[in-house]
Amino acid sequence: MGNDDSGANHSETPQTGFLSRYVFSTNHKAIGLNYLWLALFSVFLGMAMSLLMRLHLVWPGMHLPFLSSLGNSPDRYAALATLHGSLMVFLVLTAAPQAGFGNYFLPLQIGAREMAFPVLNLLAFWATVASFVGMTGAFLISPHSGITLWIVSVAIFCAASLLNALNFSVTTIDLRAQGMTLPRLPLTVWAWFINAILGMLIFSILLAACVCLFSDRLLSTHFFPPSYLLASQPGAVVTSAVSILWQRLFWFFAQAEVYIAMLPCFGLVTHLISTFSRKPVWKERLVVLALCGVGVFGFCVWGQHMFSSGMNPFSPLVFSLLASSLGLPATILLVSWLGTLWNARIQLNTAMLFTLGFISLFLSGGLSGIFLARQDLAAAAVSDDFVTGHFHLVMGVAATFAILGALFFWFPKLFGRRLNEPLGKLHFWITFAGVYCVFMPMHWLGLIAHSRISSGSPLASVAAAGSSIRTFITVAMLITVFAQGLFLINFLWSLFRGEKAEECNFWRATTLEWSVPSPPPADDFGPSDPVVYRGAYEFSVPDVAEDFVPQHFAPEQGAKARESGE
Amino acid sequence: MPGTTAIPDIELIVEDVGGGGGPTPPPGGGDDGDGDDGKRRRKESPTPRRYSTAIALGIVSILMFFMALSSAFIVLRRGSDAWVTVHLPPVLWANTAVLLASSFTLEVARRRLSLTDLPGFRKFWMVTTVLGFVFVAGQLIAWRQLVAQGIYIASNQASSFFYIFTAAHGVHLLGGVGALLYVLTRKFDNTRIALPTAAEIASYYWHFMDGLWVFLLALLYLGK
Repeated sequence: MGNDDSGANHSETPQTGFLSRYVFSTNHKAIGLNYLWLALFSVFLGMAMSLLMRLHLVWPGMHLPFLSSLGNSPDRYAALATLHGSLMVFLVLTAAPQAGFGNYFLPLQIGAREMAFPVLNLLAFWATVASFVGMTGAFLISPHSGITLWIVSVAIFCAASLLNALNFSVTTIDLRAQGMTLPRLPLTVWAWFINAILGMLIFSILLAACVCLFSDRLLSTHFFPPSYLLASQPGAVVTSAVSILWQRLFWFFAQAEVYIAMLPCFGLVTHLISTFSRKPVWKERLVVLALCGVGVFGFCVWGQHMFSSGMNPFSPLVFSLLASSLGLPATILLVSWLGTLWNARIQLNTAMLFTLGFISLFLSGGLSGIFLARQDLAAAAVSDDFVTGHFHLVMGVAATFAILGALFFWFPKLFGRRLNEPLGKLHFWITFAGVYCVFMPMHWLGLIAHSRISSGSPLASVAAAGSSIRTFITVAMLITVFAQGLFLINFLWSLFRGEKAEECNFWRATTLEWSVPSPPPADDFGPSDPVVYRGAYEFSVPDVAEDFVPQHFAPEQGAKARESGE
Repeated sequence: MPGTTAIPDIELIVEDVGGGGGPTPPPGGGDDGDGDDGKRRRKESPTPRRYSTAIALGIVSILMFFMALSSAFIVLRRGSDAWVTVHLPPVLWANTAVLLASSFTLEVARRRLSLTDLPGFRKFWMVTTVLGFVFVAGQLIAWRQLVAQGIYIASNQASSFFYIFTAAHGVHLLGGVGALLYVLTRKFDNTRIALPTAAEIASYYWHFMDGLWVFLLALLYLGK
């Protein structure tokens, strides 16, 4: 966990190599890659935790090596769930698509050589690492100080995200290349930009909430008395106040994160679909509007709850549903994706498979969200299986698919090699089937439990009905987790031995990052600054020799091709 | 002080933005080819605009932070049956006057700068900085007065909000003082445009801190 951190401090010898090149480099590409490494590490750590939790659920008596040494109390389990969630949501889903890919590719795609404030960027990265260490450490110490440490870590993460968001928005506003007008921005950039603006608003509110929570815990002020939370719970639930505290706090922060994590994924998916369908994005302007819509809805829904509840994390009011508010813009995005795919000559490589997987998961997760929106959530506890299934399908797994798709897409640009396709496809199909087998039965489980509880039958019978399903889920999950080993092998092997892909434009894509060598040189664009002449998605333009026209092609280059066509 | 780990991080945005309008791009940390890279980057990107955009966005972000706290104040104030009021220490009014005066002297300094009266600019800029320190000292005195009355941060919700508001504003204001000092001490040698721009950006932030304080004071006064 803190290994890379402490290791870096130990090897602090004056040398030009590792430290200045990777650890303290202010280069946007180095920082972006660092975020991706951090996310990769966190995702495997988080997955190990979910494995522990599933095993514990199915075989509660089993002696788990890590958990039992900490005492098998309920709040340990809740803490584990919170830690799993924090790692996945904050350090994987939030950090990878926005800070990771964004730092690397946003300057490349808009034709800037660097982010607007490189030093702030570096600072934000190390603050993120610090929050990662803090969140992990929170689990290992006693619950009460653990919660305090967790809150501090979230506060640090918020501050880092604020720096990041500031950097992203200023870079997009001020550092675009000549000719890169707003309508010509790739949709990935739009998504990063809107997300950065949203982040600047939401993370400030979260930071304020963190400050209040922290002063409650440390200076014994009374902004948000937890007694208020306990009073609103049904009596039977209040078995362990601390474990509820863990869950509430996590959901309070995660609720806002949903929008932040999904927005860049929408951009990535739209971009990949257009590239691999060899077609322009259908209704591109409308998609930009929809992305703005997600941002505005995200802020209004969440922000309004914050303001009307006085930011109280223990108020039940904040647990409103994203599904209902995301409905309209999400539908527009979905229609645009399908419109782009319609009648297209789709290239079914692994990146595209993951993208299509994203759409499938998003659709099925969204459908269950409609059911959820009709339920009275106050009755179903937040840890209910139905919610868990829905949340993981629509957010966790879908976003992970978008990240994986983007990784397969950009891997040639990042490392000059490509990931192994057959292995990647195998990984995709096992994962795709696996996540459906894990999370779909969870919906079912949630419905069973809910109907039995509301009909008043004893809890034991509810538990018995679900046990076979639980075992099925756990077995499916074991398979899915081990399929991720395939990905890890593919990733590490391709990094050193993968098929070389050193041509500039490996996927025959249009955006600016494909006009430079792979991997890009330190100053990105070489001696001359890039100039942009056209929109980001000129695929299958009639009367042109190739089926795409890159953004940096001057009109003469396009016209020449057109004349030869006529 | 609560959230000391978090707030200085925001502060860094502000300091870097407020005072970072220096002539050179930020140090590259030993990147190869950073030197000539910097030259090209300057040509391609209008540096001052980048900083003013950042300060504008940063102000919005900080405003959201205080709006969130204010909304918590309003909601809790409205929902509470037994709200114990905190009588604001009278020294706050003097502090407010000092802060308003500092905004005035800041504008005078910038006027001097536009008349290329550099010594006059430095004099008034220095006065502004000193007034900033006086304000912070005055806030500390206000805290001492409350403590002398036996009102601590944990005494009641009103006092918690008073301390949190003043502390958060004070920390942000100290960031502004840092920016003022930066503009005062930094040598803006070969770039004539940079000093007025840096002064302008620092002044935006300073006036924002001024307005924010007036808002917070009104909120605390009307909400008692």
